[in-house]
Amino acid sequence: MIANLIVGGLAAGCLYAMVGIAIVVVLNITDIANFAQGEMAMVTTFFAYWLLDSVGLTWWQAVPVAILFGMVQGIVIQQVVIRPLIGSPVLSAIIATLGLNIVLNSVAGLIWGHQTYTFPSPFAFSAPLMIGSVPVPVASVVSILAGLAIVVAMTWFLRFTWIGIGLRAASQNPTVARMMGVSISRTSAIAWGLGGLIGGIAGILVAPLLFLDTNLMGALLIKAFAGGVLGGLHSLIGVFLGCLALGVAENLVGAYVSPAFGEAITFIIIIAVLIVRPEGVFGRVKVRKV
Amino acid sequence: MARLSIEEVSVDFGGIHALRDVTFELESGSIVGLIGPNGAGKSTLLNCVSGITRPSRGRVRLDEKVLSELPPASVAGCGIGRVFQHPELVADLSVQENLLIACHRSLGYGLVSELLKLPNMWKAERDAARRVEEVLGRLGLSDSAELTIRNLPYGHRKLVDLGRALLMDIRFLLLDEPIAGLNDAEVAKLRDLLLRLREELGLGILVVEHNMPFVSRLCDRLVVLDLGRLIANGAPADVLSAPKVMASYLGEDA
Amino acid sequence: MSAATDMERTQRQATSVGAGALLGLCLAAACAAPFVLNGYGLYVLTLTGVFALVALGLNLLTGYAGQISLCHAAFFGVGAYATAILTQSAGVPYLLSLLVAALFTACVGAVVAVPAMRLKSLYLAIATLGFGVVLQKIIFEWRGLTNGGGGLALSPPVIAGYELRAMGLYYLTLAVVTLGIWGAWNVSRGRTGRALLIIKESEIAAGALGIPAARYKVIAFAISAFYAAVAGGLFAYLVRYIHPENFSVGLSIAFLSMVVIGGLGTIGGSIVGAAFYVIVPELLRGIKDAPGLVFGLLLVVVMVLMPQGLWGLVRRLGRRS
Repeated sequence: MIANLIVGGLAAGCLYAMVGIAIVVVLNITDIANFAQGEMAMVTTFFAYWLLDSVGLTWWQAVPVAILFGMVQGIVIQQVVIRPLIGSPVLSAIIATLGLNIVLNSVAGLIWGHQTYTFPSPFAFSAPLMIGSVPVPVASVVSILAGLAIVVAMTWFLRFTWIGIGLRAASQNPTVARMMGVSISRTSAIAWGLGGLIGGIAGILVAPLLFLDTNLMGALLIKAFAGGVLGGLHSLIGVFLGCLALGVAENLVGAYVSPAFGEAITFIIIIAVLIVRPEGVFGRVKVRKV
Repeated sequence: MARLSIEEVSVDFGGIHALRDVTFELESGSIVGLIGPNGAGKSTLLNCVSGITRPSRGRVRLDEKVLSELPPASVAGCGIGRVFQHPELVADLSVQENLLIACHRSLGYGLVSELLKLPNMWKAERDAARRVEEVLGRLGLSDSAELTIRNLPYGHRKLVDLGRALLMDIRFLLLDEPIAGLNDAEVAKLRDLLLRLREELGLGILVVEHNMPFVSRLCDRLVVLDLGRLIANGAPADVLSAPKVMASYLGEDA
Repeated sequence: MSAATDMERTQRQATSVGAGALLGLCLAAACAAPFVLNGYGLYVLTLTGVFALVALGLNLLTGYAGQISLCHAAFFGVGAYATAILTQSAGVPYLLSLLVAALFTACVGAVVAVPAMRLKSLYLAIATLGFGVVLQKIIFEWRGLTNGGGGLALSPPVIAGYELRAMGLYYLTLAVVTLGIWGAWNVSRGRTGRALLIIKESEIAAGALGIPAARYKVIAFAISAFYAAVAGGLFAYLVRYIHPENFSVGLSIAFLSMVVIGGLGTIGGSIVGAAFYVIVPELLRGIKDAPGLVFGLLLVVVMVLMPQGLWGLVRRLGRRS
């Protein structure tokens, strides 16, 4: 029983983590908390659904195309909406992404309506794996593996590739980065592209577990922010573990403490942790020089 | 006659000893220069005195009152003014409004009077405005009172920051690199101003500064820190010719 | 130097005269509005006033003190429920229960501020969001008091024997908003407003000036919760049926958007932002299928073209005329 709850929590946490990592990549490089990340992923998922349902591609063909679409979508949005806002107050940019959230949601509503769709998954009907005596649904295993893969891939990308090093330089010290020839506008575009890509993967993995509709990602977005804050927004590993902890905590609190107050208690835990660690469990408090 | 005592103050930042057993005193009416190479712990010491950093050991006293147990705002309330290296002003407010911020403690009215603009609020505000005018005159900034900080030259911004400290009825003033970024005329003016403040208000001034000619002409006494330790404390001429001090500076240069 | 000073001074005087004239004009128009508008128009205008009140308080917190809050919908809800319960169940006169409910909510706001003393930006946003969720849940589950998911139906309040219907409530809201603007104006130009501004700039500098940042953050949260709660008490009797779902995180985000869209740190911005948020969707209602799309686009366009908010535009137009 408890093992099942933990596995379920880990799987849910991995989905939060994917959205969370998409958010954090954009946040750390551009300072903007992207409230449209969830809706961008939702649109990508609908695009994948359209490829499967109307174009007739197979799952394995549709998914890479859709993920690519997610990336292009991120870059286009950055170019049209975010680029003019570089240098503006951060809150203005955040509210612009909120507007974008509403726009994408209504566009999806106009195209696909507000009914729910069943999104296929090649893992839907596989028998659960037995790990010890615990039955683990294949979809959970896929979520966990995908989450892990994204954390590892992003960490590697940011640490060891030229683009990644440029991105990190731009986020830490824009002035120096500019002198080194790193273009702020371009790093911002790359960040949004990556965000769109990762978010798209999350959407496609979430959709079969829930039903696909225009509100697919709403709740997930808040959970991703919460998990990210819990772990610490400045480290990918922190965000990943924070989201996992959030998923597990939700399941355990819901089952053992109080189903009605599950979400509220989870938030109380987050607040309590933040009081002790104001920059998240894995965050370091920056000392400001005066 | 008040006395500010730094008593065996040590500060550890996770294994790094920023300050080790530093002891010296500052009387009202005296100007003491705090010098030393980069990383000697000068700013840390100022932070200790103004309550931003808590000493790991030792204490800071103002006469009989122990300051090092108080939060920064209460230390300021005891009459310790602090001027930072870079003036932290509200860019969208005028010079006058920025100075009014510093009248905070002397404006005694409560929140309800403020919300409803009761007579005691505007009377207090009027008195504060008069004191601000006085300080503006002292700083030679009367003409710039209505100018927003955004449109003010850097040198004048530093003066406004100093003016804020003066509005708090201080007895001691801590200055962190007051002449960095100022031109020669402004430096001369600042020195005259500081000397006058000492004469007229009996202020005790502790100044961190790299510019040796400036400190040696301004200060009665110099305190030298190196790697968190106090290595000299005395008249400027004696201190600057002490072999230990020269070694610490040359060591840095070499 | 002194020429620049003079120019700034004249400019300031001109704006203050302009602002005075604008304010008088707006007030006159607001007083006359019920005689021109139909019932629905009056409802929309009253709702604008209610949201403007929340925005005024939130702007003191976010625009002046630099603290983000995503639990203002919950303060709004606590105010609504407390006012409704005091008036309906305890028989307290409506105006008195508005005040008591607001004072109670201000205390709740002060409690929420405790973690805010150490948290910044998104961390604060999520913590306050968490408080919002918790408060909403308490309203939902405390069925004996709030009737939980069943909601509370309210009958029109009575002030001095006069039953407050749409028109009366509109004038009450107008009076409260006017008072709210005046209070916010005084605070923003007084001791507290200046303290909040320097705290936003640098908490360390505030400390050196004898201003305890932690205490002022608590005060800012309390004042802004007070505003939100009064607005909630008016809202409850405007819609006359309140439900816990009315006070969700979405509304908190809307409040924050109002303040940013209108203009952070400006009083006019709070009013303009609230008007934008209430009136624009109503105007767009006619567009088939797409009110959300157009509203979202407008939000993006306003932010891209006017990152300082709509009030900056109003001020610029005022200066030119």
